[in-house]
Amino acid sequence: MTGRRLPSGGRIDRSKPLRFSFGGRELDAFEGDTLASALTANGVDVVCRSPILGRPRGVYSAGVEEPCAFVAVEAPHPDPIVAATMVEVVDGLVARGAPGVGRLTEALPAPRRTEHRYRHVELLVVGSGDDGLSLAEETASGGGRALVVEQEPRLAGAGFAWQPGDVEVLTRATAFGLYEDGYTLVLERSRPVECLWHVRAKQVVLATGAHVRPVAFADNDRPGVMLAGAVRRSVREFGVLPGERAVVFTTNAGAYGDAHALQEAGAEVVAIVDVRPDARLPDDLEGVTLLAGWSVEGTEGDPRIEAALAIGPGGDRRTIACDLLVVSGGFSPALQLWRAIGGGLRYDETLACFLPDGEAPPWLRVVGAAAGDLPSSVPYWYSPAEDYSRHFVDFQRDQTVADVLAAVDGGLRSVEHVKRATYIGTAIDQGRTSAILTAEIVNGRLGWGPGAQGPSSSRPPYTPVPFSALAGPYRGSRLDATRRTPIHGWHVARGAVFENVGQWKRPWYFPRDGESMHDAVSRECLAVRTGVGVMDASTLGKIEVVGPDAGTFLDRMYTNAISTLAVGRIRYGLMLGLDGMAFDDGVVMRLAPDRFLATTTTGGAAKVLDRFEEWLQTEWPDLRVYCTSVTEQWATIAVAGPRAREVLAVAGTDVDLAQESFPFMTFREGTFAGVPARIARVSFSGELAFEINVSGLDGLAAWEAVTAAGEPLGIEPYGTEAMHVLRAEKGFAIVGQETDGTVTPHDLGMSWIVDESKGDFVGRRSLRRADLVRPDRKQLVGLLTVDKKMLPEGAQIVREDTGRIPMPMAGHVTSSYWSPILDRSIALAMVERGRELLGETVYAPLPGGTAAATVTDPVFYDKENARRDG
Amino acid sequence: MTDRAELLAGIEAATNGEVRARELALLQIDLRLAQHPARNLPFAVPVDPNTFEARPQEVLWLGPDEWLLTRPADGNHDLVAELEAALAGEHHSIVDVSAARAVFELTGPGTIDLLSHGCGIDLHPRSWGEGDCAQTLLARMQVILQQRHDATRVFVRSSFADSLADWLLDAASRP
Repeated sequence: MTGRRLPSGGRIDRSKPLRFSFGGRELDAFEGDTLASALTANGVDVVCRSPILGRPRGVYSAGVEEPCAFVAVEAPHPDPIVAATMVEVVDGLVARGAPGVGRLTEALPAPRRTEHRYRHVELLVVGSGDDGLSLAEETASGGGRALVVEQEPRLAGAGFAWQPGDVEVLTRATAFGLYEDGYTLVLERSRPVECLWHVRAKQVVLATGAHVRPVAFADNDRPGVMLAGAVRRSVREFGVLPGERAVVFTTNAGAYGDAHALQEAGAEVVAIVDVRPDARLPDDLEGVTLLAGWSVEGTEGDPRIEAALAIGPGGDRRTIACDLLVVSGGFSPALQLWRAIGGGLRYDETLACFLPDGEAPPWLRVVGAAAGDLPSSVPYWYSPAEDYSRHFVDFQRDQTVADVLAAVDGGLRSVEHVKRATYIGTAIDQGRTSAILTAEIVNGRLGWGPGAQGPSSSRPPYTPVPFSALAGPYRGSRLDATRRTPIHGWHVARGAVFENVGQWKRPWYFPRDGESMHDAVSRECLAVRTGVGVMDASTLGKIEVVGPDAGTFLDRMYTNAISTLAVGRIRYGLMLGLDGMAFDDGVVMRLAPDRFLATTTTGGAAKVLDRFEEWLQTEWPDLRVYCTSVTEQWATIAVAGPRAREVLAVAGTDVDLAQESFPFMTFREGTFAGVPARIARVSFSGELAFEINVSGLDGLAAWEAVTAAGEPLGIEPYGTEAMHVLRAEKGFAIVGQETDGTVTPHDLGMSWIVDESKGDFVGRRSLRRADLVRPDRKQLVGLLTVDKKMLPEGAQIVREDTGRIPMPMAGHVTSSYWSPILDRSIALAMVERGRELLGETVYAPLPGGTAAATVTDPVFYDKENARRDG
Repeated sequence: MTDRAELLAGIEAATNGEVRARELALLQIDLRLAQHPARNLPFAVPVDPNTFEARPQEVLWLGPDEWLLTRPADGNHDLVAELEAALAGEHHSIVDVSAARAVFELTGPGTIDLLSHGCGIDLHPRSWGEGDCAQTLLARMQVILQQRHDATRVFVRSSFADSLADWLLDAASRP
């Protein structure tokens, strides 16, 4: 006989029958069943095969500690592998046995919706036994917020009448991680939406209970062998009788309750095998055979247990026919969360288990069974035998007492080493039934007493957490927040292809129907070189630096002098790290004697502001300077090309655009297209260019005014790719592209911007370090391939192609583009002693053959700067 | 992603009327003062962290020497000029940041619950109420929260405003 549903009893709802499928069989269940209870009720003995040895395995426990019965759920919510005890049956559930290793389904189902929630409470209770519930109610009655999380669908304690609002209760909710000061992560699966709760609790109570511990004996994994407690729960909670003729094998009085529950449900308790010589039968089990001082050394049956093999103190042996063997080797308090925050353990001889040791932090308490409110037990870990190769310790890893002994005999002493040699405790059940057993087998083999060393360490998560829950709502299009300029919608409507720059979405290029990227970028570049183009530069970082000492401060941040800048003028500035390496760059405008606007690279805005604040707050609190981010305050529209001036004039501005009154590297305040604007003469392409800055609120209108005014002139919007080509033609380095944190301004050929006479600045001292003045440092140069073809960015440069690998590397390509105006490829590279090599040939060994290139000045176009004034 | 105003308008239906959201146009000024109370400032600035004063314009405490001034963007006041005149001679910084942050106003009984989907600070009435403001993260975006009598304002850097509106409607739509 095997398991069956009892005619009455349990907390299942018999008025709600369910149909589910397991391994292709259609089976019945009731609402409130777990897959494990339903399979037992349907007489399914073998749930799956063990992962390595292929042994039949059935339901072994009733909870999160399950080490045997693993299933894959296909519907409604796919799960590659999960314990059958943790799956609630719903109508239409489809599952099958999973042999130890889960596999993702080929066709990915629509992901379950997931969300994150934050909750702050005065008290968090993990576990819903009566001890925990009473503490929660106490806090709530005092006006505090109390939250109880219970990983099962129903509360464990029953003694309280709940008033709505008193205590918040989350069921099917597992506290899987506990961190400093009561920060707790809880995964809740109660609703259609799976929820990851971030709980901040002033006090945390761990009422996590204890798991029954198995004993190892030969063939202790045979279906029909079950843990005590689980049998009782099967009968009382699910109305399922897991067997008709039971033997109970125990080291403690706790399992007698299971015997009693079986008898009540109509099963026969054939014998109780109790390793304690002084064990006595309680009154309610009168008539049951008690074998005190005996133990079980093995089982028989195929596949389900048909007999327990018992051995007496004098070596007497008995074969006891049965279809259920209930096992209890004592209890293991569930202290995984306690240990995860560094809590220690001490061995308790009376209980033969490990309890919390030492002072708890003031915000944490352990109560109830987890704190040792448990029946006493004797230390008994495995039944003696000649051959331990079928005494299973970790069922899911198919590891036995023999494997542990082999690890110890091989020289390992620490449970941590044994764990890693055997993989015990590394499966889904995380060693809940095997870790202490393993530790005690090691202790015993080494001649150490019980408790000499405890189980291997515990870390979050306590139970498996799907990546989808960690991601929460942040996936797909919401994976990361995106930043958009006020002109974004126009770019979308114009069909821009975007590139990510940090979180920013920037137009990369604007293809016309059927146009390739190459063609689109060429068209955009030529528009700027020969007509006019417009680019959205709103993403540039902008910082207002205000105060009487602002000039002094900026002198110390940039390599060149800023304080000497006149109001209305603009200067390009470079910043270095403390190590003397290029850090960020941009232009600085002097808006007023005590007010500057510093611009940064798009990606550098936050780090530059942070650095400004850090130096001001930690090193120079005496400087009277305030910094305010205005990146989004201003929309920035770059109009570039020989006809740029005409566009601004047509769009309408009160600023005198004439070269004499508005020269390069100055700015003017005025109006543009009817709104207040600050217009700057700066150029990143070498062409005549105006940067129109207007309030972000006016950004789109100003942009549309530019494109409307430019339409008759053939204005083209251009993206970041064209911007890169144009600047590379002019040999302008980009911090982060030409540089990689090891490049100084001298390496870039920008010694002109380092003004050591003005006083100290960040990075100045480092520039004199011996390594930074080496003559053989890599220097920025241009490369022109002999065959005009493109070099790949990142290609290594060698002086001589010896044909023998390895060959000495001389540098690498940092930027490589097709230049439409030059009608050939151009590249920038960092090459050792590069400036001494002008005119020489270097080589780039590539998979398709070696490319030869001539070293040139990095400025490929308009070396005389003849174009910037139009 | 659809239009921002449309996303915000969708929140009411998604929450069965528990939350209504709209975008406000506010004049916003970032004020830095080396010494406070400044002698000639025509209004009080709060000195208690994470609180705000409500009159005549709202003044939010952002730091020991930093405040955010807001008032409806009606164009009637040149507040910047007024402040510059009042603070002449004192070390200060006044920067118009009206376009730097978008402002969403959330009202309705479900507001705090909605925010708890993505905000780590304690917004329960025990520790958060009228007169409070805070700089924090909402859905991993930097925001300033301001609790007025009947409404919660969310200031978000305007480049993130579309993303935040999209997240708010998504969070509001979770059963």
